[in-house]
Amino acid sequence: MGLPAGTRNYSYAQDMAIFRTKTHWAMLLALLVILFTAPLYCGNYWLSVANLIGITIIAATGLNILTGYCGQLSIGHAGFIAVGAYTSAVLTSRLELSFLVGLIAAGFAAGLIGMIFGIPSLRVKGFYLAISTIAAQFIIIWVISHWTSVTGGFTGISVPPASIGGITFTSQASLFYLIMVITVLVVFLAKNLARTRAGRAFVAIRDNDLAAQVMGINLFRYKLLAFFIGCFLAGIAGSLLAHWIGFMSVEHFSIMDSILYIGMIIIGGLGTTIGPIFGVLFIRLLQQWITSYIVPGLEGIFTLPAGFATGIGPMVFGLAIILFLILEPRGLAHRWQLFKASYRLWPFSY
Amino acid sequence: MNWRKLLKIAGIVSLALMITIIPLLSAGCTSAEEKTLKAGFSICYTGVAAEKGRPMGNGKLDCIKYINEELGGVAGYQIEVIWRDNQYDASKAATIINELMDKGCLLFTTNSSAMMTASAEIANRAEFPGFAVFSAPALTNPPQHIYAQMPDYGDDWAAFANYYLENIWQGEGEPKMAMHLLNNSTGYGARDAAVLLADELGIDIVAMEEHTTTTISEIESLTRINALNPDIIYISSTPQPTSIIIKDAVDLGMYPGVTIGLGHASITSELIEFAGADAEGVYGVYPTVKWGDDVPAMAKMTEYCQEYHPDDYGNMDYITSWAEGLIVAEILRLAVENVGIDNLTPQAVEEYGFKKLDNFNVGGLHGPVSYTPGDNRLSKAVRVFQIQDGEIVPISGWVDAPLIPYEFD
Repeated sequence: MGLPAGTRNYSYAQDMAIFRTKTHWAMLLALLVILFTAPLYCGNYWLSVANLIGITIIAATGLNILTGYCGQLSIGHAGFIAVGAYTSAVLTSRLELSFLVGLIAAGFAAGLIGMIFGIPSLRVKGFYLAISTIAAQFIIIWVISHWTSVTGGFTGISVPPASIGGITFTSQASLFYLIMVITVLVVFLAKNLARTRAGRAFVAIRDNDLAAQVMGINLFRYKLLAFFIGCFLAGIAGSLLAHWIGFMSVEHFSIMDSILYIGMIIIGGLGTTIGPIFGVLFIRLLQQWITSYIVPGLEGIFTLPAGFATGIGPMVFGLAIILFLILEPRGLAHRWQLFKASYRLWPFSY
Repeated sequence: MNWRKLLKIAGIVSLALMITIIPLLSAGCTSAEEKTLKAGFSICYTGVAAEKGRPMGNGKLDCIKYINEELGGVAGYQIEVIWRDNQYDASKAATIINELMDKGCLLFTTNSSAMMTASAEIANRAEFPGFAVFSAPALTNPPQHIYAQMPDYGDDWAAFANYYLENIWQGEGEPKMAMHLLNNSTGYGARDAAVLLADELGIDIVAMEEHTTTTISEIESLTRINALNPDIIYISSTPQPTSIIIKDAVDLGMYPGVTIGLGHASITSELIEFAGADAEGVYGVYPTVKWGDDVPAMAKMTEYCQEYHPDDYGNMDYITSWAEGLIVAEILRLAVENVGIDNLTPQAVEEYGFKKLDNFNVGGLHGPVSYTPGDNRLSKAVRVFQIQDGEIVPISGWVDAPLIPYEFD
């Protein structure tokens, strides 16, 4: 079911190929062309939405590696994103280091902090681990808000525009290219990671950690590795977020954001590479539709008093998520698999 | 057909309707031919700051409705408001500011300093002028393209400290002040001013405690404060946490006894609603008049409030944002008169609108509005109020809030 009807693999390379047929390559090329020409036909608003989506995909992909593949539930992801954001902000703003140094350091800083908070994962799992990662969220935010001399505390910290080799990324269009290149790389990395020894170890731990240990998988090592990779990507997302918004405040990283990230990967489909992309697209676009179209639309059509329809926004958002979880609990990725299976067999589906 | 299939079809149809039909219908509600003056409002109607965002959103939208319908707009042109609910979410605020620029808005406003921090850098880079109704000192220091409608949280502290020393403090030597600060720019704005000015004014800051917007008890922090025997507790927060601090202070027997002073984000009718009789005698600074005062704009504002948003009557945030609507209109009027409708750009609006404001009277609702080079605060005066018999009563005239020389990185 993984390949179009009539396609066979005759070598290991063919078996491992992500893009197997000419149609696959053509579709990939078309997608990349559409993606990278978007600034030609999209305004600042949609580019900023795309930038937010790209950043969120990077963060959600990290969480998906940690939670979806390795089964380590984390409700502190916004905290790890904050670590990356502030690392990059401090290095580029106060120490005037280059953006690339800030970006990579942000990933490593968040990854290392993630590993520290991942240590309890050897002893606790499920809801208990979730609670310990919530603690990470609060501790990180507390430290950032009180380490005033470095982070600016609640006053916040101004972040210079990202700059690589003389190119400064200030406009939404230039940031779009920067963010999308990194997003594509991250998704490609995540896809391949899932097929490596480490990726298979993550899945084994998720499915049954005792059985995985019996098979010789070092639980401590791989769980910490999952925390490192997941939080590394959160740090990268944080760095991009900081340079995109241009000003960081601890208020930008709430526990609600952490919960929203969990929602995104559940809606998209846990343990799949495409899942976080679908989940992020669904949530972020729904938010934008409600804010920019549904609420103003309702007030325009029914001539409601100012502000009357705003309460409908969160209700529609909540309702859509509930309906979604009832109708497709295995996530959009599963629906996508069904769709692919159906069109590959067409017109001989049974 | 089973229920699951029915539910699925209903869900898909509803979503499709919402996604396609409503935006299409709403697109037909405005005329593309007519020239309008576009203003963008980023409002926290929902989310954790909705208690302030809702009346403020209502106030400014009602005011623009009044200007368009009864005054015929500004310089003969209607103001077209594009407003979005930012839900007090920074990433949403960042996309909203881009949307407002894309849709051709000439200026923008936010209610809160937090949402302005999420929008400010993008706006500054694009030279897109805007102002925050409630603002923290960091937003206008150093001054760029972001303005503050009223004195900031730091100015509140300075103005109240001066008033306290001159009119309330009866003791010897330096009064001991404890500060209870919301853990965001609302609290830290006041803290920044206190750190800078307390010694100069002769006030001994003995404690700086913090609380969150979701706090449910401050007994512990107040117990620590109580041990330091302060003469005054200054709270810079929002109504709900402020009411909890006041109630806990009453429970601990600290109040009445100690003086309690509030920053302007705390003292609204909602505080009285939450804290009830415990709030009696509490002082606070606020940059506007109170409901019922005899000022030119009061009658029309009251009429609109009672007709469209009667729940907001008595809420001083509504007054603040009605004044915001008047300021937006004045900025646009100045810009149209100076450069003409065809030459209006955000940059022109800043140069010939914002920077031409000179003693504009917002119907008496708050102090006069002027632009002073180097000081992006538009109004520079506050009043001191006291809660008496369940009412917020002014006990001072306008108190000047001079520019505080902050040095932010």
